[in-house]
Amino acid sequence: MTEAAIKVEDITYAYGDLLAVKGISFEVQPGEILGFLGPNGAGKSTTIKMLTGQVAPKGGRAQILGADITLDDPDIQARIGVCFEEKNLYLAMSAKENLDFFASLYGIKDPDSLEILRRVGLADRAKDRVKTYSKGMRQRMMISRAFINKPDVLFLDEPTDGLDPVTSASIRATIKEEAARGAAVLLTTHDMFEADELSDRVAFINDGVIVAIDTPENLKLKYGKRSVKIRLRNGSGVREETVALDTPQSGELLKEVVGSGEVLTIHTEEATLEDIFIQMTGRGLVG
Amino acid sequence: MSRTVSRAAIVSAIVKKDLVEFSRDTLYLFLSILGLVLFITFFWIAPSTVNETLTLGVHQTGMNALFDQFQEGADASEGLKLVQFASEEELKKVVAGDLEYWESKDGAQTFLRDKAAGDEKPKDAKKVDVAIGIGFPAGFLEKTAAKERTTVTVYSDAGVPSEIQGAMTSFVREIAYTIAGDAIPVTEPAQENIILGTDRAGDQISIREKMRPMLALFVLMVEVLSMASLVSSEVMNRTVTAVLVSPARAGDFLMAKTIYGTMLAMSQAMIVLIAIGAFTTTNWWLLLLTMLVGSVMFTGVAMIVGAAGKDFLGTLFYGVLFLVPLMIPAFAILLPGTASAWIRFLPTYGMTQVLTGVTAYGLGWADVWQNLLAATAWVVVIYLAGLFTLKRKVESL
Ligand SMILES: Nc1ncnc2c1ncn2[C@@H]1O[C@H](COP(=O)(O)OP(=O)(O)OP(=O)(O)O)[C@@H](O)[C@H]1O
Ligand SMILES: [Mg+2]
Repeated sequence: MTEAAIKVEDITYAYGDLLAVKGISFEVQPGEILGFLGPNGAGKSTTIKMLTGQVAPKGGRAQILGADITLDDPDIQARIGVCFEEKNLYLAMSAKENLDFFASLYGIKDPDSLEILRRVGLADRAKDRVKTYSKGMRQRMMISRAFINKPDVLFLDEPTDGLDPVTSASIRATIKEEAARGAAVLLTTHDMFEADELSDRVAFINDGVIVAIDTPENLKLKYGKRSVKIRLRNGSGVREETVALDTPQSGELLKEVVGSGEVLTIHTEEATLEDIFIQMTGRGLVG
Repeated sequence: MSRTVSRAAIVSAIVKKDLVEFSRDTLYLFLSILGLVLFITFFWIAPSTVNETLTLGVHQTGMNALFDQFQEGADASEGLKLVQFASEEELKKVVAGDLEYWESKDGAQTFLRDKAAGDEKPKDAKKVDVAIGIGFPAGFLEKTAAKERTTVTVYSDAGVPSEIQGAMTSFVREIAYTIAGDAIPVTEPAQENIILGTDRAGDQISIREKMRPMLALFVLMVEVLSMASLVSSEVMNRTVTAVLVSPARAGDFLMAKTIYGTMLAMSQAMIVLIAIGAFTTTNWWLLLLTMLVGSVMFTGVAMIVGAAGKDFLGTLFYGVLFLVPLMIPAFAILLPGTASAWIRFLPTYGMTQVLTGVTAYGLGWADVWQNLLAATAWVVVIYLAGLFTLKRKVESL
């Protein structure tokens, strides 16, 4: 087994008296995408801030590419890419100038900025100042900047924030390309669909604690209740029956319902990550 | 993949980026250029000669003999000219500028012109500016000789430097003393003038020459505001955070800001100093050194202001707050007699003294090194304070 690209052991962070991250542990392997799924204020961004050296953890340890994060090692920093929550771009400069500048901080002599902008669909606006960009374009610009140094570790804080569905899908595809190239990706989201679609594993984070961490499949298998919803004609009306699938009597029950009338539709219902999240934390992902 | 990138490459990349941003900031670019043009213009329209001859208007009765004596003395000396007026009212009006006093070329004829009443300009005559006047009361001579107190009125234009007003007071006293023999019966308040730096009375320099330090500081001031706004936008937009997660360190960021600020301030100050003819073949290195010291000092100020200001107005507010005290020594040179001793303790005092000393009096290293040393000490303090403030700000994001 290869060494984990991100290795976090029991790290904590507090803003004054407010404990934002209460001792969380996880690992991300090279080529793996770990999705941090949690509501506002759960501690997702704070975790990323600690791992990227913006704030120092108050407790616990973490290693990026084998080096302790408190070392601030420039050789390690050269190998990570970050997409911040706030869109901190140089507004007076063009997209290409922004990328070229950051490339030079990484010692990249002739950066392929245009190619990177093409990947996020901004190549035709490369020479325009970022000031003139829409919110979604700025967000795409943020992602492209995280890619500039072909990082081995990518931290993406709500990468698809404010993007339309089509753009979101294409950005998710580029994130998958980065992972396929071998990058370890830690991304945050409160969109359960995105977490499900994009992540190899999902960590449910709530109130500074990871309440569950596993592949989306396993989470659904372990915690989700599958069921079958059957609609039948009932005289002049319509009758609906729901049969749980994970009980010993499921088979019998299903036969009985299906045999009891004229079946209109049958749907299998899988629990969504959101259902499971609510079930585990007693709260939804929004609010 | 591991790459190595030198600190120098990182710093120069940030400086380059700052210059690009500066060139796009139309407001400060405009202010900088406008500043350069205005400051240079100010200099060249300012009076270049010292009006060394002081015309003193006098009204007296019964002291003709005495004044003929003074007149002779005044004619013999350079720099003082006596004009007698028939009435105290006329004298007052002339000093206040309500009447003009004209003299024929040979000085034999005099005219009073009431411009407001539409009087023509007298032919073959020149206007003489009477900036100060003394009105002696009737019977002054007798009363003074009898050691009675009388009131002598000194009229002066607002533009008359306070040293000269003080000199007039002494002049009146002297007359009274001559008459009375011993006591000084004239009711005039005693006046003390604090002359800062080397006392250069009688070694006057023109307003134009006095303006040099002020113009140099003006340029630095515009630069402070421009750089502070750059720093504050970098802090407020958190772009600095993006820089710091890269291999660049806080130290690189601060170093880049130091180089950028000093470079910009220094180059613009140089443009102004060259344009106002401050450089000579002998003083250039002293001036360069002084401006370097000044540029680093103001860069430090810009770092403090940039870390403190949250937006354009905030930057302006903190900028003005810090810059006003720094400008005072330059104004003190321009308006002597307005300053008090405490201005010696302002950080820019040494710098302005060196600038005037070197450009106007041709002083050299030996004369100015103490002031330069004091300025350097201040630079260390201010720059370190700026560095510390900005570093803390950047690291607290
Ligand atoms: N700069 C700060 N000062 C004080 N408290 C903070 C600060 N930043 C975050 N917090 C607090 O820390 C907790 C975690 O915040 P964090 O930003 O990590 O949440 P998040 O999971 O990223 O939320 P979101 O989905 O809204 O981005 C919250 O309670 C928040 O109020
Ligand atoms: Mg967040």
